[in-house]
Amino acid sequence: MTAVIDSFRGPWCIAVYTWREGMRKKTLVGFLVLSLLVIFGSSFMSSFLDPSAQSDMELKLIKDICVTTIAIFGMLITVFISASVVPTEMDNKVIYTVLSKPVRRVQYLLGKFLGVQLIILVNLALMGALFFLAIYLKQRILPTLLLWSILLTYFQFIIVSAFTFAISCASTSSVLPTIGGLFIYITGTLTEYLKDVFTRSGQTGELLDKIVGYLAYALYNVLPNLMHFDLKDQIINRAPNDPPTDVLIPNLIAYGLLYAITGFIMSYIIFRRKEM
Amino acid sequence: MERHQSVSAVIETLNLNKIYEGAFRGQDVHALKDLNLAIKPGEIFGYLGPNGSGKTTTIKLLLGLIFPTSGTITIMGSRDISSAKVKRNIGYLPEGAYYPDFLRGEEILRYYGKLYGLRGADLEKRIDAAIELVGMTHARKRLLRGYSKGMRQRIGLAQALISDPQILILDEPTTGLDPIARKEIRDILANLRNQGKTLLISSHELLEVELISDRVGILFDGVVQTMGTIEELLTEREMSIEVSGASEEALTRLSGKGISVEDYTGEKMKLRVPKGQSVYDTLELCKAEQLTIISIAPRRETLEELFVRVVGAAEAERRQAV
Repeated sequence: MTAVIDSFRGPWCIAVYTWREGMRKKTLVGFLVLSLLVIFGSSFMSSFLDPSAQSDMELKLIKDICVTTIAIFGMLITVFISASVVPTEMDNKVIYTVLSKPVRRVQYLLGKFLGVQLIILVNLALMGALFFLAIYLKQRILPTLLLWSILLTYFQFIIVSAFTFAISCASTSSVLPTIGGLFIYITGTLTEYLKDVFTRSGQTGELLDKIVGYLAYALYNVLPNLMHFDLKDQIINRAPNDPPTDVLIPNLIAYGLLYAITGFIMSYIIFRRKEM
Repeated sequence: MERHQSVSAVIETLNLNKIYEGAFRGQDVHALKDLNLAIKPGEIFGYLGPNGSGKTTTIKLLLGLIFPTSGTITIMGSRDISSAKVKRNIGYLPEGAYYPDFLRGEEILRYYGKLYGLRGADLEKRIDAAIELVGMTHARKRLLRGYSKGMRQRIGLAQALISDPQILILDEPTTGLDPIARKEIRDILANLRNQGKTLLISSHELLEVELISDRVGILFDGVVQTMGTIEELLTEREMSIEVSGASEEALTRLSGKGISVEDYTGEKMKLRVPKGQSVYDTLELCKAEQLTIISIAPRRETLEELFVRVVGAAEAERRQAV
């Protein structure tokens, strides 16, 4: 047991260091400040609405702006930080000083990945807390639905983070993994369309049409579907303290973790024989 | 130097080869060719070579940052150089490493100490010892952004020393430092050697290496060109004659007879008597040119001269082969 705890001490130490360093990155702080300003300013923007509009219109607008802001800026922070932690350490040679210590490559990667997750969680918590406050002050009801949404958003981000991190382990700069991360996010939100391609395929009866259909179906089953984690419509249109419907939260958490672990294993396969 | 030859090597490489594969056929780079090194316990080994000779590749291989194409590496008797047991005994200072500005000197050491598995009072004791050893006690609580280049280098050395390792691998430890800081670092390294630690120093600062190393190896094009103790390698002695009053014409005539000017300040200059030539004959030539003889002294070849000679010969050989 002691040996297991000891083997996690190194990664945890690297994770805390990564978090402390990451929270000082100017780009990341910029994204965070901007997102907090947009969430804070959403109440102000809603005052431009036509006073004769429906009474809950203002609230819907605030919710829409806040959910979209968290999704966009949260994703940017996730991609940016996941893409940069390993290449930056390779660039400034810090990785040499770490890997020359009794730290195995898998422990280093685990530490870096956990550090990235801490950064994402803290940023998401800050944005979510402000959104939570904005809704509570407007409606005087605890928006528990929002908490579920924030939780699911994190598991959406952990998938994007894990695969972006894997790409970054193969790269020497953060440019390629950033582009890759954005591509993963966009692809993950469009996975549902692959199912449409499959259901519509085969109508012409041509072989190519069928192959495309099966390919789309295979991709639909392999690629993560990030839209499963989306509670935006429920947050906007339903009462803040309603329970989430049409989603099995434990299953979604398991789904997110499964893809995250797959991404992490890919990172290790890439990194274990990587030459520094 | 006898003491080094009677004990087994702490770091040993046997027919070590490293080929960096290029994207296309013919672009491969053979960075190390059958490297055989044996660094003995308690010695300072100066690892020299021009840029691109394979020094950093060797260090990266020893640290497990890259992997050999063929050959073996043994550190402290173990071939599993990535094992925690081996790594606990190695301290490494990379060239020009970055240390985060937002941390204090002692926080950096705490971070690296924890990576060695140090905890609690033991860790704090090691931090105190390492900071004191590199003379940074006064600045231990200052943020790194307020550190000079020399202070950063010292804190880098402290992080390499934090676990009290038996082996220290230092890449350019004195580069960019002022003469006083260099002297201080040199004294620290000599002190570490006196404590029984083994040091592998890769450097371009040949004078520093000459002053501190027990043995040196000169690498060129992935091959060790020469290796031995400073005494063994710098044996060639010549005579130097200090003269004054030489005209350009006189110097040209002397040069035609194999006598070169090695140094001059104003009117005075030092003439080097070529190997195998009699000092008396050279003095006769000086007299004939009506030069005033100030002094005659024996001189030993410097490490820099040896380096230039060895690398120059290897380069010429390579050019011929091409």
